[in-house]
Amino acid sequence: MSISGWFVALVVLGVLPIIVTGDPGVLGLWLGGAVLLGVIDILIAGSPRRVILSRDLPGRVRLGETVASSLMLTNGGRRRVHGIVRDGWQPSAVASPRTARIDLPVGERRAVTTMLTPFRRGERRAGQVTIRSFGPLRLVARQATFELPGSISVLPPFNSRKHLPSRLARLRELDGATSVLIRGQGTEFDSLRDYVRGDDVRSIDWRATARRKDLVVRTWRPERDRRVVIVIDSGRTSAARIDNEPRIDTAFESALLLAALASGAGDRIDLVIYDRRVRARVQGAQGAELLSRMVSSMAPVEPELIEMDWTAVPALVRSVTAHRALVVLATTIDAPGAARGLLSVLPQLTRKHTVVVASVTDPTVLDATLARSTREEVYRAAAAERALLDQARVAAAIRQLGAEVVTGAPQDLPPALADRYIALKAAGRL
Amino acid sequence: MTATTLPVGSGQRVLTPAGGRVIRRSLFWVGVLVFVALIALVSIGTAGSTVGGAPLSATNAAPGGAMGAVEVLKQHGVTVTPTGSLADTRAAIGDPSTTTLFIYDDGLYLDESQLRQAVGLADTVVLVDATFAELRAVAPGVAQAGIVSGNLGADCPVAAVRKAGTVSGGGSGYRLVGDSSGTTSCLGSGDSVFSLIQLDGGRLTLLGATDALTNQHVIENGNAALALNLLGAHDNLVWYIPTFADVPAYQGQDLGSLTPAWVTPVLALLMITFVVAAIWRGRRLGPLVIENLPVTVRASETMLGRARLYERSSSRLRALDSLRIGAIGRLAALCGLPRIASVDEVAAAAASVTGRQVGEVRRVLVDDIPQTDSELVGLSDALLVLERDVARALRP
Repeated sequence: MSISGWFVALVVLGVLPIIVTGDPGVLGLWLGGAVLLGVIDILIAGSPRRVILSRDLPGRVRLGETVASSLMLTNGGRRRVHGIVRDGWQPSAVASPRTARIDLPVGERRAVTTMLTPFRRGERRAGQVTIRSFGPLRLVARQATFELPGSISVLPPFNSRKHLPSRLARLRELDGATSVLIRGQGTEFDSLRDYVRGDDVRSIDWRATARRKDLVVRTWRPERDRRVVIVIDSGRTSAARIDNEPRIDTAFESALLLAALASGAGDRIDLVIYDRRVRARVQGAQGAELLSRMVSSMAPVEPELIEMDWTAVPALVRSVTAHRALVVLATTIDAPGAARGLLSVLPQLTRKHTVVVASVTDPTVLDATLARSTREEVYRAAAAERALLDQARVAAAIRQLGAEVVTGAPQDLPPALADRYIALKAAGRL
Repeated sequence: MTATTLPVGSGQRVLTPAGGRVIRRSLFWVGVLVFVALIALVSIGTAGSTVGGAPLSATNAAPGGAMGAVEVLKQHGVTVTPTGSLADTRAAIGDPSTTTLFIYDDGLYLDESQLRQAVGLADTVVLVDATFAELRAVAPGVAQAGIVSGNLGADCPVAAVRKAGTVSGGGSGYRLVGDSSGTTSCLGSGDSVFSLIQLDGGRLTLLGATDALTNQHVIENGNAALALNLLGAHDNLVWYIPTFADVPAYQGQDLGSLTPAWVTPVLALLMITFVVAAIWRGRRLGPLVIENLPVTVRASETMLGRARLYERSSSRLRALDSLRIGAIGRLAALCGLPRIASVDEVAAAAASVTGRQVGEVRRVLVDDIPQTDSELVGLSDALLVLERDVARALRP
């Protein structure tokens, strides 16, 4: 049960007859009358308990986008239900409008549409639906809350897809698909074609030229069908936020851009998200299905507050592929102590695979080294310099073990990793 | 139209409990409340009257009461009637000649005429702890003489005092200022201050020694004898302690008679409206939906923590070392030296590029040890300047 503002107005309106008559007894009469009206109103209000509910939800939405969720209400009672309904979503789902007016004639069905603009990745849930049904006088309402669970999966935003066209174009240049004035890179022999002015004379195939009596050049293309294994660390260090974005989200962005690029280049991508057990795994997907499966498997993963178990990673990679692959480890390298686990297993990986370690760096640390005007700032600059030195030491150790290091601020890391991939491909190291 | 009425719920779980269930569930708590209220009422009813109450009240068993004296008087066959108002007192006194009237107006409820009436009600009156206004009304020849303490000896022919011998004198003292005929002054504490004065040949007794009657002191000295003989002279004793009931009703116009009749009900209605509005706004539309919040850890936390540690422990050299190592690495890269170049090589290269003395550059890069924070800030600035100069010299 609940009362409306009209009931409050009705009660306060009693001031007029009291002043006009000057009789204190009117107070009791007025209050009694108001309560009587309220009781009559609630008795003839439509029962919210007889409304039959169902949800129509989209399965998923990309973070930052808006999606419509529908709630179907069917009046199964004997009286018209007139009132307001609230679809109970979690606060981070940002449901708008929060409440909706409904007017449900007997036996009919209406839809209430709520727009959801979630601001947090993962599974956003709705718990219940509340219906408040007012009587014909609009004074008092009957209220009932129904348990009606629903959820939508909020996917990583993949903001770095804006970098994809330029990187794909560079891939095509490698591929020889576009005509360029440089000798086609790559190591795999592709085809022979006629010489056009500007082609590198070193790529002229003299034997074919002799046969054709016309200048013929060889074109090259990068290797195809290589394996790329992306391992994302979902341990405690991935929970730290840089530029108000957790490290793991940046790792997701990088992985998505790399996967989109590599699948465009004809490589096969596998993804494992791991800390002490496998949180998500995408294997054997191709093309458009790959990205779709990647985002939906990433959506519910949150960093766990436990230490990453690096000793299991070589076996994990071996379980994904038995062949030589490009292994991308998206983790954190910021202190020699914390990176000991990573450093101890790198030799096992680099022996067989090409390994790239991708790590997010904090742009505020770099800024802090330059701001040195006050005493506090000098100490902060010293600590920042120390942090950079630690990072550099770990990076040097990783390079010494035969792996590559890619670092960057949250916005820069995905394109930097994509560029490193293109560079590796161009050098034929995949 | 065939509107089929579906059963309540239709498989849906309704979280809001039905009205009957709410009542049944709240029954227990209503019962608990009623039980607690009953216990409170009973305990207040049984315990309330035994302690506390007015000073020298006949029913007050506290140290300041006079229940002890009254009980002893009752045992000696005196009928004691406690009264609280002038009308009650008038009704309680049947025969003025066989009644002793005890008056103690601690709360100053009586005005002069009431007091005169009261004193005239009986033939024997004991007025305890009379104030200035009371004395002016009934005994103009007696004046107040301040506070008295200590024990007082019997010094007059009044029988009660003589039998008591020694009396606790705590209370007020009086002094005769007018005609002394028909007056007996007793329990003197020197300087013609007396604690008991009988006027009109014993009709009116002014007693200042209030301590002698209290439960706390009545068993000391001859206090009990004084009380028994002074108050038990007749068969009846009316113990009159004026209360609020003696204050005459105010006859003039007050705020209540000036305001219109509707003001109180309107105020009541507004208060009720406030409560109703609170219920209106306070009823929420369904419960909150619970959500786990993610942990928020800023990655720069460790860096800031380390900076504070440096600062708190004044590790100037350690802080400067970090800055110097970073600067040396960047200078080496700028000058095109290998990663393994020694500090001396870097210093020499930087000096040659900028045209400075090698020793000066070396001091900035290695040798100077900061003793104070200002030296630390100065050295860190010198490092920045050196780096900038080298960069500018190499990339004009």
